[in-house]
Amino acid sequence: MAKDKIVEVAGLHQRYGDFEAVRGISFEVREGELFALLGTNGAGKTTTMETVEGFRPASAGTVRVLGRDPHRERRAVRSHVGIMLQEGGLFPDLTVAETVDLWRDIVPGARPRDEVLEQVVLADRADVRARQLSGGQKRRLDLALAIVARPRVLFLDEPTTGMDPEARRTTWHTVRGLVADGTTVLLTTHYLEEAEQLADRLAIMHQGTVRVAGTVAEVLAGHGDRISFRIPPQAAVAELPRPHGAEPQVSAGGGGPVATYTLTGPPTGPGVQRALRELLDWADDRRLELAGLEARSASLEDVFLRVAGHPAVEEAHR
Amino acid sequence: MTLTRTRPDAPAARPVDPRRLLRLARLDMTLLWRNRTALFGVVGLPAFFAVMLLVSDGNGHQSAGVPAVLYTGTGDLAFFLLPAVFMNLVSVFTARREELTLKRLRSGPLSDAEALGGSVLGATALYLAQSAVIVVIIATALDGGLPADPVLMLLGMLLGAVVFALLAMALSGVTPTVEMAQLTVIPVLLVSMLGSGFMFPLEEAPVGVRAVAQVMPLTPAVEIARTAYLGRDFTVDGDHGALGLVETWTACVPALLTLAAWIVVGAWLARRYFRWEPRRG
Repeated sequence: MAKDKIVEVAGLHQRYGDFEAVRGISFEVREGELFALLGTNGAGKTTTMETVEGFRPASAGTVRVLGRDPHRERRAVRSHVGIMLQEGGLFPDLTVAETVDLWRDIVPGARPRDEVLEQVVLADRADVRARQLSGGQKRRLDLALAIVARPRVLFLDEPTTGMDPEARRTTWHTVRGLVADGTTVLLTTHYLEEAEQLADRLAIMHQGTVRVAGTVAEVLAGHGDRISFRIPPQAAVAELPRPHGAEPQVSAGGGGPVATYTLTGPPTGPGVQRALRELLDWADDRRLELAGLEARSASLEDVFLRVAGHPAVEEAHR
Repeated sequence: MTLTRTRPDAPAARPVDPRRLLRLARLDMTLLWRNRTALFGVVGLPAFFAVMLLVSDGNGHQSAGVPAVLYTGTGDLAFFLLPAVFMNLVSVFTARREELTLKRLRSGPLSDAEALGGSVLGATALYLAQSAVIVVIIATALDGGLPADPVLMLLGMLLGAVVFALLAMALSGVTPTVEMAQLTVIPVLLVSMLGSGFMFPLEEAPVGVRAVAQVMPLTPAVEIARTAYLGRDFTVDGDHGALGLVETWTACVPALLTLAAWIVVGAWLARRYFRWEPRRG
């Protein structure tokens, strides 16, 4: 076993009665990296997370955290792991300070309370009872509990759900700091920006399977750069050029039908430039104006929508 | 494939760390103090029974050959298992499951035994404190003396606490909300009040009723508490005669065995019905 594999999931299946929430997924998280599991609600992220956290045994397949079975050897694994559940579980009648102190008393090697509260930007709320915190503050208190014991590995299940944009940025800053200090992080999110901002590598889950995985660049590669423009009224769809063999996809737009080309190939390659030249030459030859002309590189959103957003459309294309 | 290996540097995983257990018991006391509704339930009922002893003192009523206040007072020592341990823990476990704090506690390095044991310890401490108040009332205001066999009495009380903690775990599993806990405890509460002999002697009851009452979970706890306190045979079939030290224990053997049997049954029920997390969907 390579030493730097902190989390290893191989062929994991997870069933609830007749329903198979996770259908054979594999991934690994290496030491010191942040790995994001992306997916819509119901994609199987939380089930995967709770299996890796050791709350339930795998129906099939293997899960290893720090080389151990997180369910059977729960206590041995847990002392190196910090967990932030998707839903809090805070005692409503304890203050922020009391909540952190409780955790400091039950975990080994706890850090000072003030240091932890500083880190999650809750120091000024220390005397407030948990029931009076905002949703975002509750999530940050939950994060504080997860990091109280300086864990080697951190599992964050939708850490910023329900937060306003500013609170989200604060949390990202905290998480980046933890990764910079050498913490290995596995997080789930349905915010694409979160994965783009934080993840070294990611996997997109849909309907219980991993559809795409890799670094952000790897995931974007093959999903291509995009060129789009409104189809001039004088031009018929059949006449549109095919730069580098890319087929135009026609969709309805505000000012008329829009043609979009998806250029596969390396994301930073010369593809866009050449395709654009070809298109512009074509337009010049015919004295056409390409209104709304736009060229951009693929975003995670493109990939995500293609994988998860319109599965029916995806399948119809094949 | 990765083989599971035991590493020499692994921390010796002790299932129960007394320090953590005490910390969690203290947490329960803090939370109980801040939740006035729960506090009233856990402390109010025993306080009512204690006051009843004081106001009934000297009314001349007799139960099974002893002053009724002594009879009920020694019964209270077992009956307080209901409010302090059973009803209290059904609420605590149900509320914590639904608010996900049980799961949260379990997400740290606590063992399952610790996550639940802290609450059991806190509830038992509360029960013993309430019982201590009753002992003081019996010994002073009621002039009933101190327990004849405190060791046996304490053993019976602790076994009773284990029984009712296990039953509370099981019942919490079928109690959907903390509000519903007020209702789901009622059958056990009624059976324990009427059929345990803690206040109303079972001697007069028909043989069939008595046989059933004898195997109810609170009955053996009442038999042991009263017999050990008064040093006379107050088991359900007992003749109330004075007993020596060894005889007291011998008389209580069936009751001790009944409690042991309830521990087995309670553990099975708890395993079967207790839930750490809310139902999905």
